[in-house]
Amino acid sequence: MKLLLARLAKNKQGQVARTDEVIEAESILIGRGTDCKLHLPDPRVGLHHATIQKTGADRFTIDAPNSAMMIDARAERASLLRPGQQIQLGPYRLGILPPPDGIDVALTIELSEPLADRTIAMALAQKRTRGGLAATWLSKRALSWLFAALVGVGFLAWPVYHSLKQDHYRHALVVPLKKSITPDGAWDPGPLDSGHASFGRNCAACHQTPFVQVRNDACESCHKAVGWHFPHDTDSAKKLHAAVFSADGGEGRCAACHRDHKGVNALKRQDSPLCTDCHLDLKTRHPAVGIPNVTDFKTDHPPFKLSMLVAGKTGNDAVIRVSQLDKVNLVAKSNLKFPHDVHLAATPSGGLRSPNGMRAMECKNCHVPDETGTRFKPITMKEHCQACHSLEFEPKASQRQVPHGRVEDVIAMVNEFYAEAALLGKPIDQPDQPTQDRMRAGTRQAGGPVKSIAWVRQKADSVVTEMMEKRTCFICHEISRDATAAGTTWKIAPIAMTRHWLPKSRFPHNQHATFDCKKCHDAGKSKSSADVLIPDLANCQSCHSGSDIEKDKAPGTCESCHGFHVGGSRAGKPVILPKPNGGGVKTFKHSAALADK
Amino acid sequence: MQHRTVLEFRRYRYLKMAVFVVLASVIAYASQTAPVGKYGGTPVGYALGGVAAAFVFWLMWFGVRKRQYKASLTTIQGWLSAHIYLGATLIVVATLHAAFQVGWNVHTLAYVLMLLVIASGFFGVYAYLRFPTQQTENIGEDTLDGLLLKIADLDKQAERLSLAMPDNLQSAIEKSVRDTEIGGSVYSQLRSTHSRCPTKRAVTMLEADNNERAFKGEQAQAMRALYDVMLRKQKTVARARRDVRYRAMMQAWLYIHVPLSFALLAALVAHIVSVFFYW
Repeated sequence: MKLLLARLAKNKQGQVARTDEVIEAESILIGRGTDCKLHLPDPRVGLHHATIQKTGADRFTIDAPNSAMMIDARAERASLLRPGQQIQLGPYRLGILPPPDGIDVALTIELSEPLADRTIAMALAQKRTRGGLAATWLSKRALSWLFAALVGVGFLAWPVYHSLKQDHYRHALVVPLKKSITPDGAWDPGPLDSGHASFGRNCAACHQTPFVQVRNDACESCHKAVGWHFPHDTDSAKKLHAAVFSADGGEGRCAACHRDHKGVNALKRQDSPLCTDCHLDLKTRHPAVGIPNVTDFKTDHPPFKLSMLVAGKTGNDAVIRVSQLDKVNLVAKSNLKFPHDVHLAATPSGGLRSPNGMRAMECKNCHVPDETGTRFKPITMKEHCQACHSLEFEPKASQRQVPHGRVEDVIAMVNEFYAEAALLGKPIDQPDQPTQDRMRAGTRQAGGPVKSIAWVRQKADSVVTEMMEKRTCFICHEISRDATAAGTTWKIAPIAMTRHWLPKSRFPHNQHATFDCKKCHDAGKSKSSADVLIPDLANCQSCHSGSDIEKDKAPGTCESCHGFHVGGSRAGKPVILPKPNGGGVKTFKHSAALADK
Repeated sequence: MQHRTVLEFRRYRYLKMAVFVVLASVIAYASQTAPVGKYGGTPVGYALGGVAAAFVFWLMWFGVRKRQYKASLTTIQGWLSAHIYLGATLIVVATLHAAFQVGWNVHTLAYVLMLLVIASGFFGVYAYLRFPTQQTENIGEDTLDGLLLKIADLDKQAERLSLAMPDNLQSAIEKSVRDTEIGGSVYSQLRSTHSRCPTKRAVTMLEADNNERAFKGEQAQAMRALYDVMLRKQKTVARARRDVRYRAMMQAWLYIHVPLSFALLAALVAHIVSVFFYW
């Protein structure tokens, strides 16, 4: 198609000048783009504003699909071109003319709305938009400084200043809800253990020096009596302690195990790694300790070693340690005759003879739990035996009993009893008494009330001898005759009744009260007090697994039975001490807590 | 060649790196034996905290790096890709460092600030991926300056046409020319609808009065032309406002991201100092 374009332009005097040109193309693209056949250089015109094309014989249309187009003051998207039309494309006005010969379309074009003063328009526009958020009051730099300063002052400078002045505790801000905020309060990572809650916000009670870890001194200023892991009272023990706890990164700090700010009851470390960290390979790490390696209760806990009292010994020799595998030495030498089977026997007649008739005995008759329920009160003659095992010595005076104590006191009392009888003429010997000796010494046959001192000596001597060698004392005690120049006496072997067989562990009997005693202690078949009735490792393992949870079993961590602070001043005296040369049966100092004298 | 976003940089090089960092952190955290409980003070806790702190310092260095125009071994696009992915890993690394413990203290303050910075950064990624497309769809071949010019031009036409109109209409047009707000305050820039826009009110008035019977002859024709001009102005104003809004949205998150990251920097220093001050 051929298009005749008549450009109209007004000069300064208002006269219209016209320049014609002919454009020949398939279709005429109109717009401000430089690829447009009809180029209209104005920002208000679209890049490709409109298109004129041939749609039939002498039919030409104009389309402006995306831009504004006014045809005779009406907005249109497309229209057939007709002479006389006035078409507004942005600021340009197109007038359609009747086409001359050889021309398909003729039109005038004129800039009807010259661009408003560009400078003024842009200034106005930019004033309105103001160049984005950067032109508002917002400032990234100012906000950054503000926020950083608030945080830095409130949470760093203020606490550090008062902490260095050591008056942080007095500079509390009182805020609503009756809470006060100390300068370093926001540094507190979590609640203190209930035992430490009394320190409140006095951080310096423990954190004594800035940038230095909490020292043991701070702990020990209050916890003076906490025991060491093993005794610490000799130079060699101190050296060993230092060697064990400075190696392997175990710096020996209290805080290595006791970390506070973890909740009200979370200060104590309770896990097997606490122990097995070291005990896993103690043999190579610290051979001087002389203790076997242990990784888990289930897999490789060594057999129990029992602490047994040695009769008549004191100090280091008072206790021997015997492995439960060492059957030869696993003999209780209590010097007491006590067959458990006899006492627990269920006879057809209902038990044992007692002053109150037949009585069936139970474990709890003698083994009475102590106040803690952990172990048992001492068994005493007076409370547990004497009701049946009376210490009477003269059938005619069944209310009189010898004292349970020294042999000399027994001899003295028996002598005094018969001397008094002789002096007062008490009817000790009756005719119906079968003993001929006594009949001969009797007052009636002698014909007078006063008996001789010889009778008293002879009578007392025979009674005491019978007690010491046939009945009463002899029933329970190991007694030896001791003839000296001063006369015959007897020696009662010292009693050594072990009360705490496993002092390195804790076994709370009350927590196992749901079980019958016999489940662990096979006392009903024990014929001798030499039998050791402490259950062995396998017995515990039948109910307790190791650190891992197992079905139908209670877990058995190290901490279930063992403590860490077992050596030291808390027990009064050092309790356990490795033997310097190592190996063999170990001896231990024993304290009042260990054994009943 | 297909356009690649910063997220796809070098075949997701930094995404892979981030996944590695996250997996390594989780494995380290899960496999540690922590006798006194898992927390920031265990060896693994210190390691995770050290990595997280180093990341924060490095991420903030982006603000310096992007201002350095000198040629470098690394491209700024690569830096941004790493900034996004490695910044996101902090959610995991710092959470594991804290061992899921929170409280009313400077330590959790630093943690929360970090999460806010990361969240605002995520919005930034969203904004940069989404808004430019919408912005192009909105403004088409024009520019904001072009739109403003068109509005100024339409204003001029409207003013001329309104001379023949009744006083109330003429004053409404005049008010539209004078008081129509595009952008301006923070609020105006960020909101897309202006409820009391004078241009909208003028158009409403024209629609009410656009009655062929009320006007005759040339006045009716001028009325139609004025209505058309004002409608075009309203559309152009709306497009300009949307454009301003997209620009503002793409800037706004930085006014949270940057200041909070400096607050985080201060809180992080306070956290580290306080922990070792009261060791």
